[in-house]
Amino acid sequence: MCSPAARSRTLLAALALGAAACRGPQSALDPAGRGADRIATLFTIMAVGAAVVWLAMVALTVFAVRVHAAPRVERRTALFILGGGALVPTVVLTALLVYGLALLPELVAPAPAGSLRVAVTGEQWWWRVRYPGPDGRTVELANEVHLPLGQAADLRLDSADVIHSFWIPSLGGKLDMFPGRTSRLALWPTRAGRYRGVCAEYCGASHALMAFAVVVEPRAALDRWLAHQSEPARPPTTPLGARGAALFLADGCGACHAVRGTPAAGTLGPDLTHVGSRHGLGAATLPNDAGTFARWITHPESLKPGVHMPAFGMLPPADVRALAAYLEELQ
Amino acid sequence: MRRHWKKLLAAALALGALGMIVAVSGVIPVRASGGHWAVTEWLLHFAMRRSVATHSMGTTAPRLDDPAMALKGAVHYDLACSPCHGSPAQRSPRLARGMVPPPPYLALTLGQWDQAELFDIVRHGVKFTGMPAWPTAGRDDEVWAVVAFLRALPRRDAAAYERMVRGDTAVTVVSAEVPSLVVDNCGRCHGVDGRGRAPGAFPALAGQRVEYLLASLEAYARGARHSGMMGPVAAELTPEERVTLSRYYSGLPALPATEGGDAAAIARGAEIARRGVPGARVPACASCHGPGGVERNPRHPRLAGQHAAELALQLELFRQGVRGGTSYVHLMAPVARGLTRSQARDVAAYYASLAEPR
Repeated sequence: MCSPAARSRTLLAALALGAAACRGPQSALDPAGRGADRIATLFTIMAVGAAVVWLAMVALTVFAVRVHAAPRVERRTALFILGGGALVPTVVLTALLVYGLALLPELVAPAPAGSLRVAVTGEQWWWRVRYPGPDGRTVELANEVHLPLGQAADLRLDSADVIHSFWIPSLGGKLDMFPGRTSRLALWPTRAGRYRGVCAEYCGASHALMAFAVVVEPRAALDRWLAHQSEPARPPTTPLGARGAALFLADGCGACHAVRGTPAAGTLGPDLTHVGSRHGLGAATLPNDAGTFARWITHPESLKPGVHMPAFGMLPPADVRALAAYLEELQ
Repeated sequence: MRRHWKKLLAAALALGALGMIVAVSGVIPVRASGGHWAVTEWLLHFAMRRSVATHSMGTTAPRLDDPAMALKGAVHYDLACSPCHGSPAQRSPRLARGMVPPPPYLALTLGQWDQAELFDIVRHGVKFTGMPAWPTAGRDDEVWAVVAFLRALPRRDAAAYERMVRGDTAVTVVSAEVPSLVVDNCGRCHGVDGRGRAPGAFPALAGQRVEYLLASLEAYARGARHSGMMGPVAAELTPEERVTLSRYYSGLPALPATEGGDAAAIARGAEIARRGVPGARVPACASCHGPGGVERNPRHPRLAGQHAAELALQLELFRQGVRGGTSYVHLMAPVARGLTRSQARDVAAYYASLAEPR
């Protein structure tokens, strides 16, 4: 048996754990953007309101059964039931509905003109991300979205195959992505940091492995990042990386993947021009290192069931290491 | 009534026991030298004809009038069928005369069968005879090629037959440097010059990469690439012979295919080869197969100058999921499934038209 002190320590630890689960890069309860803030407030009001109603109901039950267990006056009881069972809920729910609906215009309002525009296409099971580049041309990358701190971003969402749903819980609400239709979502981040977005609509075998990294940073830092992303890939500097670069073309990787600045110009899979700089691999579900690249090249199916990429396990291990080194160098 | 059943049961058991005694004693001859009784032979033959007729119902023959098709069947017939069924040059092979039933000389008996029945026999073989089933599943196109040749067989005299089954190995003066296997086997289809015999019946091998040729021969030999024609041939080669043959054909100068395609089809195929069909998840063919200045993995076959019919056939086999091959083969199947049949023909026409040295 635990002592009372030990028991209270355990309880405290559990509470702390519970509270910690509310923080983190992917939590609607720890808002870092205007939309998420409104939604978190709405959630708090709803949760507190529900708790008050529940406590009141429990108190009434205890009162009726334990404190004043005696016959009631029928007429007063009928009035009480009518008031407490119909009138009060109608008033409370109407108030909550009006409050909730009043939030909607702000949540669905498009971003003001001139906001940074980001196009995101959901594909089984990754995200194709396009930014307007500094020179006016589109910069394509994958599975990573950078958003300006304190400014609105105008996200244009669509899908290449099935219905997906774009959700960065820390920054705002979710919005479905439909093939053949572009939806608009405005996000207004208010706290710099790294967050995590996910697909919130079941979209196939690897739906749960379809995430993306989100970075909120001051506009100047974002512009520097975007300028870097818009550059062609730098040639590899190590001999192993250089061998990997040649193998990348020789083995036909460029059929599906683009590495700008090289003949590889495939469009079926993610653009890999700066893949080494990303916060994670396999749609932000795996660490970004040479070992993961090698596993992905040889056994993509074991890391992402149903993936379109064929396995290249037949390549000699030395070639796989060189390819992995090259990809890691694509900073 | 009950006693009646008991008697019947006892009689059946006694009959079964008698049969076992006869079988165990070994007095029944299975010697081919004795042949069948006339009645047994008639019964077996009748049952076989009925079975073939019934099982070939519902089989529809494709068009068999393509001369390339009959040519393809011809060489296989000479290598695999003629040792038992004979040919205009050797109507009744001595060894086969001792078989029971004796393999018929087909030029004389073919008239009894329609095309679907011939297909059924060549595809599935015949039990209680020496007729084997086709060595691999999924290659009905090869079986039909044999049927196409059989339809042409009765009209051939010995000299015409020889020309058909030996190609230029029968007439060309062959230099001593050519491996004898090429003259006796490979060259009869693929040509001593590696161009593949006209008109596009057989794949051109000249200038193909040695790694790809060797890996493909090995795949045929272990059954990973399916062909009733190539499989048995490749399986009989020693590893050294496979290397010699791959080097020989790889070292020959490649020439552009001669068949002129429709210019519009070639242009459409070129677009697919360069850019793929992104909407159908088809990547650019050129990324793995060229053309282009990049050094490519030698396990990826070169396609430039290959016969259009051969390329279209391979794409179709990939689409049907019956094209095995080397350890790289799984890369192609989803690509081929993304192409429509007419797109596949366009791509084939494009690569056939390429004059790029391989």
